[in-house]
Amino acid sequence: MNKKKLVLSAVAVLAVIGLAGCSSKSSSSNSSGEKGASLKLPDHYTNTKATDKAATRNGTLHVAEPADAPFAGIGDPNLMQNNEDNDVFAPGAAAPGNINDLFIADKNNKIIDGGLANQRLDRKNNTVTITLRKGAKWSNGSPITAKDIEYTYEVIGNKDSTSQNYTADMANIKGMAAYHAGTAKTISGITYPDGETGRSVVIHCTKMTPAMKFVGNNFIAETVEPYDYIKNVPIGKLAASPQVRKNPLFTGPYKLDKIVPGESTSWSKNPYYYGKKAQIKNIVITVVSSNNIDKAIQSGKYDFTSPAGVMHGTDYKELKNLKNYKIVGQPELGYGYFGFNVGQFDTKTGKNVIDPNSKMANKSLRKAMMYAVNTDAVTKKFSYGMSWRANTLIPPIFDNYWDSSAKGFPLNIKKANKLLDDAGYKKKGKWRAQPNGKPLTIYFGAMTGTSAQAATYQDYLQQWHKIGLNVKFATGKTMEMNSFYTTLQAPKQNKIDIYNAAWAVSSEPTPTMYTETSVQNLGHFATAKNTQLINDMNSNKAWNDSYRAKIFKEWQAYMNEEAYVAPDSFSYTWAPVNTRVKGYSLKSSNVDFWSSLSLTSSSMK
Amino acid sequence: MWKTILRRMLIMIPEVIILSILVFLLAKAMPGDPFTGSINPKANPAQIAHLMKMNGLDGPWYSQYWNWVVHLFHGNLGNSYQYQEPVTRLIAGRATNTLWLALFTMLLTYAIALPMGVFAGRHEGKLPDTIIRFYTYVTYCIPFFVILVVGIWIFGYVLGWFPTTGSISITASGWLDTIGSRFYHILLPGIMGALFSTVNIVQYLRSEVIDAKHSDYVRTARSKGVPTKDIYRHHIFRNSLLPIAAFAGYSITGLLNGSIFTETIFSYPGMGLLFINSISFRDYTVITALVLIYGILNLLGTLLSDIILSLVDPRIRIQ
Repeated sequence: MNKKKLVLSAVAVLAVIGLAGCSSKSSSSNSSGEKGASLKLPDHYTNTKATDKAATRNGTLHVAEPADAPFAGIGDPNLMQNNEDNDVFAPGAAAPGNINDLFIADKNNKIIDGGLANQRLDRKNNTVTITLRKGAKWSNGSPITAKDIEYTYEVIGNKDSTSQNYTADMANIKGMAAYHAGTAKTISGITYPDGETGRSVVIHCTKMTPAMKFVGNNFIAETVEPYDYIKNVPIGKLAASPQVRKNPLFTGPYKLDKIVPGESTSWSKNPYYYGKKAQIKNIVITVVSSNNIDKAIQSGKYDFTSPAGVMHGTDYKELKNLKNYKIVGQPELGYGYFGFNVGQFDTKTGKNVIDPNSKMANKSLRKAMMYAVNTDAVTKKFSYGMSWRANTLIPPIFDNYWDSSAKGFPLNIKKANKLLDDAGYKKKGKWRAQPNGKPLTIYFGAMTGTSAQAATYQDYLQQWHKIGLNVKFATGKTMEMNSFYTTLQAPKQNKIDIYNAAWAVSSEPTPTMYTETSVQNLGHFATAKNTQLINDMNSNKAWNDSYRAKIFKEWQAYMNEEAYVAPDSFSYTWAPVNTRVKGYSLKSSNVDFWSSLSLTSSSMK
Repeated sequence: MWKTILRRMLIMIPEVIILSILVFLLAKAMPGDPFTGSINPKANPAQIAHLMKMNGLDGPWYSQYWNWVVHLFHGNLGNSYQYQEPVTRLIAGRATNTLWLALFTMLLTYAIALPMGVFAGRHEGKLPDTIIRFYTYVTYCIPFFVILVVGIWIFGYVLGWFPTTGSISITASGWLDTIGSRFYHILLPGIMGALFSTVNIVQYLRSEVIDAKHSDYVRTARSKGVPTKDIYRHHIFRNSLLPIAAFAGYSITGLLNGSIFTETIFSYPGMGLLFINSISFRDYTVITALVLIYGILNLLGTLLSDIILSLVDPRIRIQ
């Protein structure tokens, strides 16, 4: 099943998407998703042993959350800001990452009926109607109402809100911009056909877009907020309130019993859950330092690590041969990439503009650099199969959109040299010079990370040196994350020419960070063709799924051809699962992740 | 003496003000802000500006500083950006955890190191002395985080004697159970911390004892026929404590510093980890609050050390 929201931006390189964003489960079928990966991981664990009823009824499922810092403890999907919170509150949702979600989705992330609510899009009248299922209740037994759907918009859009989820897309709802600015007390574009305590809301939009069919779009919010329970807390203070920190309400199969701030959460069955009933008596999720997560698993203290938790290739090496654990995973909702600085952000017009005279404006140079890096070897050596060379800028988890046939940039030194020779980058002594004869020094921006990352960067430099390019680290060494992004986010900069970073993406993959107006378009490329393709992804014609898929593939081909941003690596999100766990499945068809779980033994050994 | 203490306290006021301005400026000089790397890719510049303004990060540094001071005098240190809760509440929670662990570690360290130091000094050059010296050098030269990782592996995971993560069990209920669980959780990090931080105390004490052994008053006492046991207890021990008393003040105020290694490896939410994280997240409100607290504690530590010294050694008087 799917996942949700947006997810924030880039964070450290090579797939450590730990800082931000609500990543999570997502869809993939077992066969197609991992193409390109040398190692095939199953997306479920088939335990053939019979469920031990007593162990399940009286037992506790122990989940480890690998993290190096205490979690923040914000039990509200619209206010939480990082993966750890999403993980430790996960059993409050039917499936990880879907806390208080309205909808369920099919394997292509398309919203389908049967979740907490159903959605109807009316393209003629520009309205979205959301109707709750009958008798839906919060984990404290109070009914979920139409007002709870609307209140999500208030929590996200209120001018005092600490939520980082408000986007320009949301202003598509009539009255939302005025509410966000504080000039209106209510959102005029959201109405209640059968009253606030009824089951449905109608959302009036200025335009309809095909993205609305998918979970993870930013036009329609996908959660409920317990209005009655939190209405007396000013929205600006909600994130600090006990209603969100100590006793948050959930709509899923488990309810929160207790939280030790920063350390652990404990859960028991939610008797009011509308769907498949939970089987295991308790779930306890505990933060375990990523320094000793391997030892913790080896000692048999945990049933599995959080399905969306950050586990590294080195962990895989330690855990893959454990007798009483199976490794289960699926491609991550994100990718590593190389970006090139080719222009600037014009703050007057609010647009990115390519500078045709910039150092990296030459396509041959960009492509030559990409053909020179040996991503296949580097990922193999340092990730133990958990990462592999990416062939496009759409992760393979998007079965429909990912272009499996794209070649990407496999190592080809000969081709790289030829590209440079043909483009006039002639050798002058040890290094190649620019076509105009001036010396060429390229500055590579990379974030400080693990020792494996440091070695990877060194390999990149070495490869570029091989084709005669004088590439050096910007600032002389790797950069701390904040310096890195501060440098890149400046409207104009000349310190970094090429950079390596990663994006976590939403389950609706329209690449808005590469639009002409995006401030997250760090390399500042903007071409008519790119704008056209991104607009086409959500044009009227794109209501047709196969047309939309075709445009996504065209865009991937275009990006590979131009190489303003080039794919680096894809990775698995994976977890070791104890062999006493039954029903563990990340399959998209499994919308009841937590309630499907049972135990086949009272012991993990 | 009270006059002196009061005067010292008054001098601390301008020191703290200067410290706070420095901290504030340095924090702002770091590249990035609390939102770097975490903003929704679909956010537009207006929304980012809105977030900055809402969090009081938009004005020049002096106006931000002034706002901060005004809030400070209302007992409000602001909200943590990273944790989205009041800084006072956040620090109070972490400080409690750190205090428990540090106090236990300190008491245990003294309990182990004091007798060791005296014993080593008394048997200078003999086998017990060699063993103790060997022990202190070995513990001093092994990096602490290595010890922690090995310790948690053997005693936590392999033998399973101690809890391996957190400050309390989530199942603990009732005050007795709560205290018991907290104590159980600090046992392993506390014992390892104590066993591996004895070197300073043992070495200082040992050399002082050796010095004192050969001093005139001890020789006099011996010649009068005072039993050796009493000489050590009443004469040598108290005099040898001087150098240790000199840094006792720092030890007490340093209890809140927290240990980054222990907290990381045991996933123990304390002050050290909070400080490091607040820096990498540019959590300005937390950084400034913590540095200010540490600064004040250090100033107090100096004062406290002087006071303790004067209590232990009647020859030293604060004028």
